[in-house]
Amino acid sequence: MQKTLRAKRASFSAIEEDHGYAARRLDYGPGALNEEPKRRYHILLMAPAILTLAAITIYPFFWLIYMSLHKVSVARSDRWVGLDNYARLFGDVKYTDGWLLLVKYSALCLTLEILIGVVLAVILNGSRFEKVLVTVFLMPMMMSPVVAGLVWYYLYNGTFGWYHWLFQSIGILGETSILADIDTAMWGLVIVDVWQWTPLITLITLAGLKRVPQDQLEANMVDGAGSLRNFFTVSLPNIYPFLLIAILLRFMDNFRFIDHILVLTGGGPGNATRILPVYLFDVSFQFFKLGRGAAIAFTLLIVTIVLGLILVRIFDDPKKQVASGEAGETTDD
Amino acid sequence: MVAISIENVWKYYGETVAVQDLNLECRDGEFVCVLGPSGCGKSSTMRMLAGLEHISAGQILFGDKRINELAPKDRDIAMVFENYALYPHKTVAENMANPLRMAGVDKATVTKKVLDAAKLLEIDHLLDRKPVELSGGQKQRVAIGRVIVRQPAVYLFDEPIAHLDAKLRARMRTELKHLQQHQGVTTVYVTHDQLEALSMADRIAVMHDGVLQQFGTPAEIYSNPVNTWVAGFVGEPTMNLILTEVATEADRPKLTHKGFTIDLDGQLGEAALRGNEKALRFGIRPENLKVSLERSPGAIEGTVYTRQLLGSDLLVEVETGNDHFRVRTSPAFEGEVDRPCYISYDLGHAHLFSAETGQSIV
Ligand SMILES: Nc1ncnc2c1ncn2[C@@H]1O[C@H](COP(=O)(O)OP(=O)(O)OP(=O)(O)O)[C@@H](O)[C@H]1O
Ligand SMILES: [Mg+2]
Repeated sequence: MQKTLRAKRASFSAIEEDHGYAARRLDYGPGALNEEPKRRYHILLMAPAILTLAAITIYPFFWLIYMSLHKVSVARSDRWVGLDNYARLFGDVKYTDGWLLLVKYSALCLTLEILIGVVLAVILNGSRFEKVLVTVFLMPMMMSPVVAGLVWYYLYNGTFGWYHWLFQSIGILGETSILADIDTAMWGLVIVDVWQWTPLITLITLAGLKRVPQDQLEANMVDGAGSLRNFFTVSLPNIYPFLLIAILLRFMDNFRFIDHILVLTGGGPGNATRILPVYLFDVSFQFFKLGRGAAIAFTLLIVTIVLGLILVRIFDDPKKQVASGEAGETTDD
Repeated sequence: MVAISIENVWKYYGETVAVQDLNLECRDGEFVCVLGPSGCGKSSTMRMLAGLEHISAGQILFGDKRINELAPKDRDIAMVFENYALYPHKTVAENMANPLRMAGVDKATVTKKVLDAAKLLEIDHLLDRKPVELSGGQKQRVAIGRVIVRQPAVYLFDEPIAHLDAKLRARMRTELKHLQQHQGVTTVYVTHDQLEALSMADRIAVMHDGVLQQFGTPAEIYSNPVNTWVAGFVGEPTMNLILTEVATEADRPKLTHKGFTIDLDGQLGEAALRGNEKALRFGIRPENLKVSLERSPGAIEGTVYTRQLLGSDLLVEVETGNDHFRVRTSPAFEGEVDRPCYISYDLGHAHLFSAETGQSIV
């Protein structure tokens, strides 16, 4: 059958050629290309914004570098120490452990938030109670992190905490509070972060789901996809850019916001939850070793920027957006 | 590969009725065109067949199986969407491979089938592009490709070649028809282009305002339209439908008009008298009229209103008593605008429609 079709095709093109009206093509170009209009004034218009931005971000940035190269103390004047502050970080177990804990904390939070957030969004999308439920979900997000920390501090409390009692009755926890046990304290913090920020992921994902074209979903269903398959092959690639923004926001927040950790554990028990930003806080504002603190802060900043840039790169790369539903293809950048 | 019965199907969107009490039978392997103007409920019918739209009332059967409740994936159908519905994040090749991959076909076969279909549709040089990098016609061909890579029980085409240029459209008509006949897949093909329907379909279902007007072979639809609406919609240039009065002269019925009188006899005469109607619409296709500058007995007298060249033929519009007759004739016809001319006709090709209901009375 293919053969006859092909033969047919051949005869078609033969007819076309026979008529001899092959389109005439120009094989020379214009003498000169017209100049594209230039826009010069926009630099002028943007100047005030750029200058302000420079003053509030670039100045502190250099100040940070300056501090990290000095022994800074409140009483005496700053003393130049070169890279000493950095060199000492390598031998500092609390510093390296801080990194490990930060990675663990951030990974746990991100994974749970994305998973739960996306599932919630899919369930909510188009459901009858969508509007009401979204409003309810938004509440944790509107709470200040310190307040959230305090609320959970009471819920976790070993003697009168309601959640503690609940966990204890199911048999997950023993006598000690979740925050007081070296093995569970990290989970206690992760739960709070997930509780507070999953709604953000849900919200962003919902916005993405609204923009998944109905016709593609329909075409895919006709092509033979069930609803789960439909989600992975059509919805997911479509909401993928939205998810990347959410991941970017959340991972940067995890690297910066420690309000609820300070309220709940302050890095303890032992050093079980002393993730790098908490350690940085201790060094700078508990022990007032501002120079060393600045060195830690600078390394943290660089890593954040690099990771952020990588994410943005993935985000901008149209080829990466193919993803074709199979997760994993996107992260091997 | 399966017969389709649409039984008393209705489609409501809230208050709007898109399809009214539709009854259609497509035989196994038949090519059925659903023909109608924009907004007549063609796509709604299609989407109900595909399982994308709830069937408000009635039922659809594939073979003996009621499919109202079946999910699209369980209906064994392939559909070309009106708006292409390609996956923008996939390449052309991946788009076309999608249904095969869903069915779990092995990679080598997928590649081969996609390439074959792409060659047939002349898009094999575009396989690595994304849909945004394609023109409308190319997108449409990818959408067709996604459908013909596999052999389902039913093909559903929703205006699949509407965005192609005339030449390519003619090609695609042949190819699709050829493919369908080879594979013997039952096909429902939606179009608003009567030429497409006439040239491709085994049977045509003409719809108007959600109501099925006529269901029959292209020849039936063309030569025996059941009402003025079908008569006017099918055929290009459209049929002349002139309002006339019925009169009798010595027991012989005739149609009178300000510009002419037509004596009826035989079957037409009986029909004209049977209904006791005062006014009838006289219908005759432009190609069944002859125009000449010389008077002949019984010819309708008029003046040339316009001349339009239709390639090999000439369409002459003749004004007579405030009405116009369209006549298809040879470009050799010498009548210039405003010249008097004479139209002769063969009553064997004429139609009579009730002026009130529009129904054919022959
Ligand atoms: N989702 C919908 N909600 C409400 N009304 C609809 C919907 N889809 C279609 N309609 C209405 O139903 C009628 C039939 O629409 P349908 O899409 O079936 O027309 P169609 O014959 O395919 O027209 P076209 O040739 O323009 O594609 C139209 O009057 C349209 O306005
Ligand atoms: Mg339509």
